[in-house]
Amino acid sequence: MGGQVSKMMGRIFGTKEMRILMLGLDAAGKTTILYKLKLSNQDVTTIPTVGFNVESVTYKNVKFNVWDVGGQDKIRPLWRHYYSGTQGLIFVVDSSDTARLEEARSELHKIINDREMKDALLLVFANKQDVPGHLSPEEVTQQLQLTKLKDKLWYVAPSVATDGTGIFEGLAWLSNNVKTQPQK
Amino acid sequence: MASTLPYRPSNETLSTNPKTNGLPRLSPAPSFVGRSPSGSHSSTRRISADNVAGHKPRRCKSQYPVDSPERHVEYILVASFHIDRGPIMEHQYPAAISGDESMLAELMLPDQTHVRSQDWTIFFLHKDTSGDDEEETEAGKTKKKRKSKYRGNEEGADIQNEDPDEGSDGESSDDEEEGGEGPPLMYVLNLVNTKQDNTVRRGAVVKAMAICTRHSFLHIYKPLLLLALEDYFKSPYPETLASLYDAVNNMDLSLMPKMSILERHILQSSNTKEMFIEKFEQIIRQREEEESEDGEYSPKKISRYLLPRDTHEFESKVVYHDIPIPVKIPTVIWPETVGDFSLVKLIQTFSGPHATSPQPFPSHPHLTTSGPFTHPIIVLVNAILTQKRVVFLGHNRPSGEVAEAVLAACALASGGILRGFTRHAFPYTDLTKVDDLLKVPGFIAGVTNPTFDNHPEWWDVLCDLPTGRMKISSHVESAPVTEGLLFFQQQNALSPNHTSNVNSDPTGDNLFMQDILRSIANRYGENAIRAKWRAYITKFTRVAAAFEETVYGASNLYIIGPGEELSPDSPTGQQADAADPSSLRGHGYVWPDEIAKQRELSASVSRIEGWRNTRSYYSYIQDIAAMYFPARPIQRPDLHHHHDRLRTLKLSHADSAAIYMALSHAVKDYAGICQLLTVAPENQAGLFYLSMGLFHPDQVVREATVDLLDRIASHPAGRHFWTHLSRFAKLGYFRVKRDRDAAQSPISGPASPTMTNLGTSFGGEPQSLVGVALGASMSRRS
Repeated sequence: MGGQVSKMMGRIFGTKEMRILMLGLDAAGKTTILYKLKLSNQDVTTIPTVGFNVESVTYKNVKFNVWDVGGQDKIRPLWRHYYSGTQGLIFVVDSSDTARLEEARSELHKIINDREMKDALLLVFANKQDVPGHLSPEEVTQQLQLTKLKDKLWYVAPSVATDGTGIFEGLAWLSNNVKTQPQK
Repeated sequence: MASTLPYRPSNETLSTNPKTNGLPRLSPAPSFVGRSPSGSHSSTRRISADNVAGHKPRRCKSQYPVDSPERHVEYILVASFHIDRGPIMEHQYPAAISGDESMLAELMLPDQTHVRSQDWTIFFLHKDTSGDDEEETEAGKTKKKRKSKYRGNEEGADIQNEDPDEGSDGESSDDEEEGGEGPPLMYVLNLVNTKQDNTVRRGAVVKAMAICTRHSFLHIYKPLLLLALEDYFKSPYPETLASLYDAVNNMDLSLMPKMSILERHILQSSNTKEMFIEKFEQIIRQREEEESEDGEYSPKKISRYLLPRDTHEFESKVVYHDIPIPVKIPTVIWPETVGDFSLVKLIQTFSGPHATSPQPFPSHPHLTTSGPFTHPIIVLVNAILTQKRVVFLGHNRPSGEVAEAVLAACALASGGILRGFTRHAFPYTDLTKVDDLLKVPGFIAGVTNPTFDNHPEWWDVLCDLPTGRMKISSHVESAPVTEGLLFFQQQNALSPNHTSNVNSDPTGDNLFMQDILRSIANRYGENAIRAKWRAYITKFTRVAAAFEETVYGASNLYIIGPGEELSPDSPTGQQADAADPSSLRGHGYVWPDEIAKQRELSASVSRIEGWRNTRSYYSYIQDIAAMYFPARPIQRPDLHHHHDRLRTLKLSHADSAAIYMALSHAVKDYAGICQLLTVAPENQAGLFYLSMGLFHPDQVVREATVDLLDRIASHPAGRHFWTHLSRFAKLGYFRVKRDRDAAQSPISGPASPTMTNLGTSFGGEPQSLVGVALGASMSRRS
């Protein structure tokens, strides 16, 4: 009941809620991005996520409930349990870890081909742009074969999670495009 | 005075032929032998065979004998979170526990471990005692086995072949506890630590250590795990596990006496700290005798055995690396009671929000038994009784907290009476196990991952710990229409005046919850609350038995005593055999009148029908059969029923006389008195209603009551009940005794001069006191 009231208030005052799921291979920087969003001016040091983190962040009138799920390959099969009701997927890639980009591509395509994720927006953070030897956002796009995707709204944002560069630009893209989504 | 008495003595040689044994029953103390009308009717009942052994106390057995092959702790495990591979198992001692290693490691590293430095979890393993191959971590395959058990049981409440003596002395306590539901669960207590460490890749080390034990009091190992895990961070080798393993298995519990089911029942519902202290004295004496025979110990060492300060728990110690760590083990362990949860905490969590701003539940006949504003705790109990899927969610809470809530919920619905909840409980689980979890029909699970909230198809009732709110899922299966439901619909259609009472709390649950909350507010403590829930579940089973008898003509939930018929043919309060007062008829739950009975039964239809067909229902039937002899040494009359009649009904003098005579005739031996004490617990006025027989107009009744109270007063447990009896009742007792002594021998002095003085100094106007007593007893009945 409470949820319905706040949903109604949201319609009147123009704040929206958006369920975001953040996935990616282990050590890509998901948790750092989450806490950089949450605590924008602080330094964030993270340790491996056991299970998941979830935080809500309000940005540009949109309340993002961001789920950050651990990335070790053994626990990736659990990702699917988080799909239902997800409006936006943030996929985080370590742009300097070129050896595992193929693995990242395969995981990403598995996710977005799931029926429950077909309406979700896709934001890719080409993270760790500060690390020498990183790929550019365009190269990441190519490696991930995003251009192959049909009927999918996607965007690749370059980012440096540790200092916050590019994070909010990515979020802005999500909040601008969620409007075009049918209200659930 | 009673310390020399035998403790539930029973002689194996007699058990083969108990019914024809014509020996007189044991009177608890020689001084009463002359007065007890023994032998005259004992042959009509099973004789507990106490008599022969009576002069020599039977050896008091230990719950955990020294030479037992069972170890306190069977395995020690260590797991860690590998930054590339996720949870992995590092070491297992003394051997690898069979089964899915990686699943165990996942359970040992609960979600969000990385956000706290320390967390406890509990989980259960379904592991065979012998076969090492067949291990399933979450109740899976044993179901087939269990189903076949059900069938076997339904056919026969045939207990004739059972050795009646077995179990009465607690020897079959394993059966009592597990009732053939498969091997006992393996309980796992797990401690996980996260240590920030800049010298390692990605800045942290996460390690968990777990103790696997068959004991349900696994919480006693907490301090040891804290020490041992700390040691393991310093020296991550199997030797660290080995030293912990040796330390805990050297814990000595051999001086903890074994108790029968009735004794356990009495001890648990009593607050008396010396209850059954005699057993502890005896087992120490036995040990000292053994040692002096062996000549191993010098006499001065004898003093090292101390009696417990409170017989409810046994104090021992574990010596780990030369540090003695004191541990307290509960003397009485009920089925379904695992770990150190708090019912008070669970009830308060969900009562607070309900009291300040109640939210209506969607209606479900099994769950919302008092309408949309049914108390959440009642909804929870209903859900567990009717085998729904219950999830406790504690987002951002330590996983130990959700585990505690799950264990408390199991105990709440069990009351120590019903079983089969912990076997399908998952105190802590996570997404990795969700597919297996959903294969279990009806479970209680604890999770910390809020994604469960988004999946109402995974649960029927979701209990959110941080907010204290409960939700009924939109996916919950609707309750089927059953025979009982139709039966009561017809009844109500015939007599529409019943429906007018709908608003007045027909189930009595609102009243009950008010009482519970008041008790909590008045700081009655955990034990008192557990006792009240035990009474609630007892009542539920008795009401269900009455329901089955009403609707189906017979009940699986109650075995009627010899000479007893089903309700309509066996009017309560009549004697089957005019010469035998103990052949008093009547059984089951007592309602003040037929309308009250109909109202309560029809309000409980859905819940009871929902309970029938569940695992706990079938194991209860099994228990009823298995417990028939151990828990009911007196099968006739139904002590509980007739004591309830004294308690709740306005009886004529003739009716009450019949009850007092029946009780006095039937309750003679040690076990019989134990049984009587279980239906008159201290928190329900104890012996008060029995003592009212001292004020009965008929002298024979008064004297029979004196005899009964004499026997109770010299009983090791009964003496505490006697102590708690009001001075007024004692006064009546001494007056009757004095009158009788005076009548028998005009010159002889009473047995105890001081008691007589007490009696005379207060007993100025005995006649008027009778009036007061009867008045008091009348006014209590409502």
